[in-house]
Amino acid sequence: MTNDSNQPAPLNLSRWQAAPGLLMVVGTVLSAFGLFASPQEFGFSWLFAFIFYYTIALGALFMVLVHHLTDAGWSVGIRRFSEHLASLLGWPLVAMFLPVAALAPKIYSWMSVPAKEHLIAAKAPVFTTPGFYITSAVFLAILWFLTSRLAGLSLAQDKTGEAKFTHKMRFHAGWGIVAFALVLTFSGALWVKALQYQWYSAMYGVYFFGSSVWIGLATIYVLTVLLQRQGYLKGLVKENYYYYIGVLLMGFTVFQAYIEFAQYFVVWNANMPVETFWYLIRENGNWWTVSIILIFGHFLLPFFLLLPQKIKSNVRVVVPICLWMWVMHALDLAYNIFPALHPQGYPLKWIWLPLAALAFQGGFLGRIFVKKLHAHPPYPAKDPRLLEAMGVNPHLANELAGADVGGAR
Amino acid sequence: MSDKIYGLMAEFNTPGDVLRAAKKVRAAGYHRWDVFSPFPIHGIDKVMGLKNSMVGWVSLAMGGGAFVSGFVLLWFSNAFDYPLIVGGKPMFSVPMTFVPSYILMVMGGAIGALVGMLALNQFPRLHHPLLHKARFELVSRDKFVIVIGSTDPGFSLTETRQLLESAGGLNVDIVEDKD
Repeated sequence: MTNDSNQPAPLNLSRWQAAPGLLMVVGTVLSAFGLFASPQEFGFSWLFAFIFYYTIALGALFMVLVHHLTDAGWSVGIRRFSEHLASLLGWPLVAMFLPVAALAPKIYSWMSVPAKEHLIAAKAPVFTTPGFYITSAVFLAILWFLTSRLAGLSLAQDKTGEAKFTHKMRFHAGWGIVAFALVLTFSGALWVKALQYQWYSAMYGVYFFGSSVWIGLATIYVLTVLLQRQGYLKGLVKENYYYYIGVLLMGFTVFQAYIEFAQYFVVWNANMPVETFWYLIRENGNWWTVSIILIFGHFLLPFFLLLPQKIKSNVRVVVPICLWMWVMHALDLAYNIFPALHPQGYPLKWIWLPLAALAFQGGFLGRIFVKKLHAHPPYPAKDPRLLEAMGVNPHLANELAGADVGGAR
Repeated sequence: MSDKIYGLMAEFNTPGDVLRAAKKVRAAGYHRWDVFSPFPIHGIDKVMGLKNSMVGWVSLAMGGGAFVSGFVLLWFSNAFDYPLIVGGKPMFSVPMTFVPSYILMVMGGAIGALVGMLALNQFPRLHHPLLHKARFELVSRDKFVIVIGSTDPGFSLTETRQLLESAGGLNVDIVEDKD
């Protein structure tokens, strides 16, 4: 830990440079093919991929907001790339939303039912076609403004190091956390839950929040490891970072599962047809398999693997778990989105289309993220809390223990 | 003064002194020893080479046991011993059983943590040989104390005293083991 000479050589990822471009090319070709084959199938797949990256960005935004609100010290080291992830909520994710907006009448069945049907009329004016577009635009505009303010002020502080930027960021985090909660809840309802507009669940916003932060933390963990191994965060990110993020990840694994179970339990217990139908179609065909995989793979496996204290800072174990979490999160979103289109089970012959959408958007957003990463210092270089985050003024205890146990903890 | 000896204690004036001394005591190969301080010293567990506490395992066992027993109890009472229809629900089903079992698990885990902590600390205990030493009270004021127990295989009145003195220990004193 204190001894850098026995560290492995910096990780070199330059041979992966072409990967985002390649993903975009493959994604474009397959997506274009899918769009012509079935615009509706394409619309659902694109929405699925959009929500996947949207939730990651929301999770990163939450970490940035909480960092400012709690005046945290340690998380300075991971804040810059979290800001970059969050600011994907600016034009990049707006651009990714455009196909969803264009195909909305094909995706959202409520757009084609008569407006006087009670379930739609009761939700007017949001559940009208103009209402959908205006509300979506407002959500994206709020997130764009918030993330660009937070990232912009942080970059401005890099130049002068003035404390006033910290105070300004804290101000934006103050209203931002409220806006974040409202936008997250209502966008989850409008873009995902409304695929089956007849359904009720007061838990859905919390579920969407838990999933977003969960997958955001998994992404942040992987990025922290990658950047640290490449030497960008040298001297700043130590094992305690992995431990802290790992603890949060463990906590949100439990929280997300608790909420998802609670939603199921309330519906199961009340046993009302207007609610149970949502789960009933998810027992058809291969959706049943997906639900069982989610119980074990989304919750039980990560939960038991992350339970021991020391595991959380063991990157060789946690990074594969995080990659697994991406798969599980994608499966969970598929479980939420696709049964609206395929209530009898997902036809596997279409599986390439959501993967293509994931590939294109991943390549596109990944390129922008890497570009942002290279354009700016890898961490807030003049943050007043930087020294605290680096653990400067090392305790005598660390010095003695470090020499004693030869660098390993 | 009885023949039985609990151990040797030495005083230190600063956290730095006690940390350096703790490193020496550990390097000398002692196992049954402890550091007393008026406040937590960050990283002292690493210097002393302390392992993670076993409390987590007690908590896990108690929590897991409570979860399973909740499941079994609900199945036994509701579906096996005295089948009773409540609210038109099945006699036994996982969603119904999960919530009370989960809450039992939380309780079992919490009790496990408490009981495990008490047991590993050998509580409840009304008395300790160190409490006879008037100067030991200073560890709740401004002194730091290292105590090496006589049950340690490497304990020797002369050598251990020499070690503590060479490590900078002041007022090295015998702690008698009396009630």
